[in-house]
Amino acid sequence: MRKIVSLLLAVFLSAGLAAGCSNSGTEDEQKTLNILTWDGYIPEDVLNAFQESSGISVNIANFNDNEEMLSKLEATNGGQYDVVIGSDYIIDIAAKRGLLSELDKSKIPNYDNLDPVYLSQYYDPNNVYTVPYGPGTPLIVYDPAKVTIDIKGYNDLWDPALANSIVMMDDARNVIGITLKSMGYSMNETDEAILKEAKEKLFQLKPNIHHLDYNNPYDSLISGEVSVAYMFTSQVNTALNERPELQVVYPEEGMGFGIDCWFIPLNAPHKDAAHEFLNYILDAETGAKISESILYMCPNQASYDYLSDDFKNNKALYIPSDILGETEFIKDVGEAATLYDSIWTEFKQQ
Amino acid sequence: MKKWRPSSIYLAIVLVIMYLPVITVVVYSFNASKLTTVWGGFSLAWYEKLFQNRTLLETLKNSLILGVSSCGISAVIGTVGALGMARSNFKLKGLVENISIVPIMIPEIILGMAFLSVFSFLGLKFGMMTLIIGHCAFCVPYIFLMVKGALAGIDAALPDAARDLGASDLRSFWDITLPLIVPSILSGAFLAFAMSLDDVIISFFVTGAETNTLPVKIYSQLKMGVTPEVNALCTVMLVVTFAAVILFNLFAKKQR
Amino acid sequence: MKKHSWAAIPLYLFTLFFVVLPLIYVLALSFMTRNVTWGVDADFTLDNYRKILDPVYLKTFVSSLEIAVLTTVFTALIGYPFGYFMANLSGAARRITMMLVIIPFWTNALVRIYGWITLLRPQGLISSIFLGGASLQFLYTRPAVVLGMVYALLPFMILAVYSSALKLDRSQIDASRDLGANRFVAFWTIAFHQTLPGLMSGVVFVFVPSVGLFFISDLMGGGKIMLLGNLIENQLMRSRNLPFGAALAIVMMAMTLFLLWLYKKITKSGDLEGLI
Repeated sequence: MRKIVSLLLAVFLSAGLAAGCSNSGTEDEQKTLNILTWDGYIPEDVLNAFQESSGISVNIANFNDNEEMLSKLEATNGGQYDVVIGSDYIIDIAAKRGLLSELDKSKIPNYDNLDPVYLSQYYDPNNVYTVPYGPGTPLIVYDPAKVTIDIKGYNDLWDPALANSIVMMDDARNVIGITLKSMGYSMNETDEAILKEAKEKLFQLKPNIHHLDYNNPYDSLISGEVSVAYMFTSQVNTALNERPELQVVYPEEGMGFGIDCWFIPLNAPHKDAAHEFLNYILDAETGAKISESILYMCPNQASYDYLSDDFKNNKALYIPSDILGETEFIKDVGEAATLYDSIWTEFKQQ
Repeated sequence: MKKWRPSSIYLAIVLVIMYLPVITVVVYSFNASKLTTVWGGFSLAWYEKLFQNRTLLETLKNSLILGVSSCGISAVIGTVGALGMARSNFKLKGLVENISIVPIMIPEIILGMAFLSVFSFLGLKFGMMTLIIGHCAFCVPYIFLMVKGALAGIDAALPDAARDLGASDLRSFWDITLPLIVPSILSGAFLAFAMSLDDVIISFFVTGAETNTLPVKIYSQLKMGVTPEVNALCTVMLVVTFAAVILFNLFAKKQR
Repeated sequence: MKKHSWAAIPLYLFTLFFVVLPLIYVLALSFMTRNVTWGVDADFTLDNYRKILDPVYLKTFVSSLEIAVLTTVFTALIGYPFGYFMANLSGAARRITMMLVIIPFWTNALVRIYGWITLLRPQGLISSIFLGGASLQFLYTRPAVVLGMVYALLPFMILAVYSSALKLDRSQIDASRDLGANRFVAFWTIAFHQTLPGLMSGVVFVFVPSVGLFFISDLMGGGKIMLLGNLIENQLMRSRNLPFGAALAIVMMAMTLFLLWLYKKITKSGDLEGLI
């Protein structure tokens, strides 16, 4: 009996010690790369190829939405992660907080492959922090076999005919944003009276919402559980790939536009590896492979030759500019963020 | 044929319902189709994929390391603590005991947020270290309570008698007390290990850049759309658990 | 007689550093002010507590407590008989049942919830077996969240009742039956009374976590149902309002401690039963 106990204790303790040691950073500092990203946002084969060609071992940590990413970044004070993805407005906030580190473009020769259309945006006017990765426009998609009305824009989502049949992203800024849009306002209103008005209108949408899902709303559209969805570009495309008969709507009130970008946090422990990774994904051929896989617009000019015609003619990705019209970015609303938060909390538990 | 009493039937029905979702996961791990809405025929493809999926296996390894180390460390702290407590006697003893089991008395999210904010305030690196601390917080109380219960059941005269016969304190502990409480330490550690594997909330808050654990990975997968490899992984875990529990029971029987 | 043992020191230290101090830090945070971007300013304020009384957040409290009460009632209704019957089983059967109750813990809670989601989808297995493929509108509703909670917490109730039912003095029941009491009277006057501490501790073990299990309401409620846990998680991870999240956690903790105090008052016993 005693032997067994001693043995068990020894096993436990040594396992504990081993775990402690493996954590204390004995490995070669530049041979690892810690990526913080949405689950599945980097194609598995690209990741494997990168690890093989560079000899860098990659750790992936995931977050569910932009705000969670920022919280993680702040909790670690811009350290611990080496390269992080996020959407435009959150990058703006992170930049204001001083959490970003300037890119060393001499280490990213492929940076020149980027299409200038996606550069010099409001969150990074001088292109010092970010590498655009996934530009796109959230759209409405519906199943024409089940929806009896003609959906033309956001306002139609309030139609009683759509009772309990809509799925949307579980995201305050986007959903309140289109509510504002449907009333002719900007997605970034900060005026309390206008937001109150939008809140009233948003609450009327509740009976039509089947559920909220940030990450895979397309599932329930594909399976037919819901008949209408408002979702991000890649999700629109995933649904269309599965069921081409679905109808895409370019909302007539005006569309949103967003760019997901990579950046390197201020205190990233492996900055060299991070630059190497960014350079790798900006390679012409790799860039094409990535865009075809994640189903966002391709921000890489040099990749165009490698893109399939199907991709280039995808009407959910490349929306003709006469239809697209003026698009609007979601932006940091500063203090009004608490207003958006309380509207969203109230909406969710209504 | 044994006659089934109504109470046994009730137990059986509840157990069947309890295992319904578990069985579903097992069944779908053999589903050739990727969609859970369709049955595409029997296939072992997801198991093949599972064993090629480096990230998923890595998270499993991390979870096991985490479980073993936190329940090992907790076994020591909890057992020694319970022994110490049993020999202590002071006015606030009850209060101190209650405070030390607070982690399993309050909703996990409170500790989760406490750890997140404290670790970030201290600038600790989120990773295996913070995970182990977080898990020990709720493993220690389980083992502590278990051993405390066992100690309460031991005839106090036994160690005293040993000492009277000339055994040292350590000797009497090693020869008398320890063998008597070992089953409790083991079942406490067993329980703590299970709780560690099961935990989602604390792991969610204290996980770091380099260490993904299984629950955290599954949580983000659930939100992103589950790949059936997760079903396969859980099936493997279940089989291993069943084997472990059966072995443990056989072993316990022999000990008796 | 005052006596201290060195052996308890590691436990003291551990509790001090990893339980008491972090909780005190949360308490302190709850009186601070949110920085405009993130983090906290050390300006003392009661605003975070005042904010809880805002109807928006008060509603979350109420709805979360409703779900917790429902969860507790259902787990008690299902788990009490289970624990009681289980204690009546003979040795081998009892051990096997016990094992079966505990084993699901070894798969992750998320996986079991995911199993339910698969079953309950509108076109899922339950709909195709029992409803002939008709669309099942159950997932993403409040009852679905309650189901997920009951499912996740049932083992705690079972184990709590079981451990007190084990200690039941069966000769008393037999005696009262001999004295002419029918089965239910005998159960009610003796067995139920004696297992009440177990039931009460099961109630605590279920009620307390059920306000915090944010991932269950997230997954089973389709983002439409918020618990206190979701609210705290949102304040931490999305709104980045640490002080408000801390205030919510402190109120939650106060409620828990009140419940534990109540438990001790009612059962007049020291420790909670079950699990251990």
